[in-house]
Amino acid sequence: MKKKNILYSLCSFLLVSSCELIDYHPYDVRITGETGINAKNIAKIEANCKDKSSIRFVTMGDSQRSYDETEDFVKHVNKRNDIDFVIHGGDVSDFGITDEFLWQRDIMNKLNVPYVVLIGNHDVLGTGEEVYTKVFGATDFAFIAGNVKFICLNTNAIEYDYSNPIPNFNFIENELTNRKEEFQKTVFSMHVRPFADEFNNNVARIFDRYTREFPGLQFCTVAHDHRLSADDLFNNGIMYYGSDSMAHRNYLVFTITPEGYTYEVVYF
Amino acid sequence: MKWFIFKHSFTLGMALSLFCYNASAQENRYDRRVHHYRKRWENLIPTHTKIQFAGNMGLLSVGTGWDYGKKNQWETDILLGFLPKFSSDKAKITMTLKQNYMPWSIDLGKGFSTEPLACGLYFNTIFGDDFWVKEPERYPKGYYGFSTKIRTHIFLGQRLTYNIAPHKRYTAKAITFFYELSASDIYIASAFNNSYLRPKDYLSLSFGIKFQLF
Repeated sequence: MKKKNILYSLCSFLLVSSCELIDYHPYDVRITGETGINAKNIAKIEANCKDKSSIRFVTMGDSQRSYDETEDFVKHVNKRNDIDFVIHGGDVSDFGITDEFLWQRDIMNKLNVPYVVLIGNHDVLGTGEEVYTKVFGATDFAFIAGNVKFICLNTNAIEYDYSNPIPNFNFIENELTNRKEEFQKTVFSMHVRPFADEFNNNVARIFDRYTREFPGLQFCTVAHDHRLSADDLFNNGIMYYGSDSMAHRNYLVFTITPEGYTYEVVYF
Repeated sequence: MKWFIFKHSFTLGMALSLFCYNASAQENRYDRRVHHYRKRWENLIPTHTKIQFAGNMGLLSVGTGWDYGKKNQWETDILLGFLPKFSSDKAKITMTLKQNYMPWSIDLGKGFSTEPLACGLYFNTIFGDDFWVKEPERYPKGYYGFSTKIRTHIFLGQRLTYNIAPHKRYTAKAITFFYELSASDIYIASAFNNSYLRPKDYLSLSFGIKFQLF
């Protein structure tokens, strides 16, 4: 009887593990597990931060191929209890292959706080954007935490031709009036910052004008450069804060209070 | 007159036999040439067909190939793979060029034999506008430094062959069942320096059948 049980469990183990070993193609867009992450987490963020006058959030990004470091990041953030949510600035994948998105999702899902993921230029490669859209959601999205609207944009213009508006000014314009009564402050988040290689630099200054139309524009957060940065890109006081890559083992913590905002770099 | 006829028929006969001799010599050389020509093209007739399931070359791949070497220990295949669309916009077709090497074949008796080790590599290309071999011109030179279109895989596997008795043959003279464990370039690059990824993440299991035609 015991022998039979062992044989049975061995067979089922082999069957399960062999199922996980079956791969059709790196770009097969065969998605298992949770999908629509951003929408679900935005609902949590908005509920958790409702009526809060101060919010604290983390920005990080460029976690491609840094699975161990991203796991350590999650453990580090989970030790704290002062963070409301995490913004991943894009590039969860390096090659745009389907598994990369699923692996990174599974790691980020271990966070105790909700998170959103922006689309990075590497995430667009191959069938990457189709996977991103399914697993995380629309490539342009917005949410309100406390009284701050976060506008998260796809700025990876070089990956597309002109049939895809990057950055999408229609989307930005709509966000100006969408839920207007619910926010007094604005933060823009994007993977590639203006004037960088990937940005549509023909409209960099127009982009800047659009951002300044928003009420209480605080600052913009970016990733992509794999280094920490803080730059007044248009010499008009609007700061662009760049988070480092996960491989360099650090992240940014922003605190927005009625008095203003502060930020710090945290190493793990 | 008689002499004249004789003389002429003799000359004619000589000429004819000479002509015939020449003609047969020419025909022989021609025959040989045609024979060699046919033989050379005959070498290109595939010796087997294959069906392979999974292995990062599509859901199902079908193809043909050639056995060669002293003990037929080498094998080259060309396969077309079908990849369903799953959560993407459209289904895709892939193509694989595969090189196999089986150093040993062991007779198991009763018509069975095994190749305890089959190894090799294959190149897979996927068709579609989303993929490129060389980065399109819009990128700065060497921006990504890899191809989304072509993947290189290495594999190890084993085989079991059943030799069909001559009077029972229908289309094949032998059927081989095989399985393989493979890994591709970008999965190996991903696993490098990461303990998070386990063998089940970067290894791929596939199964197949080979029909030996002759």
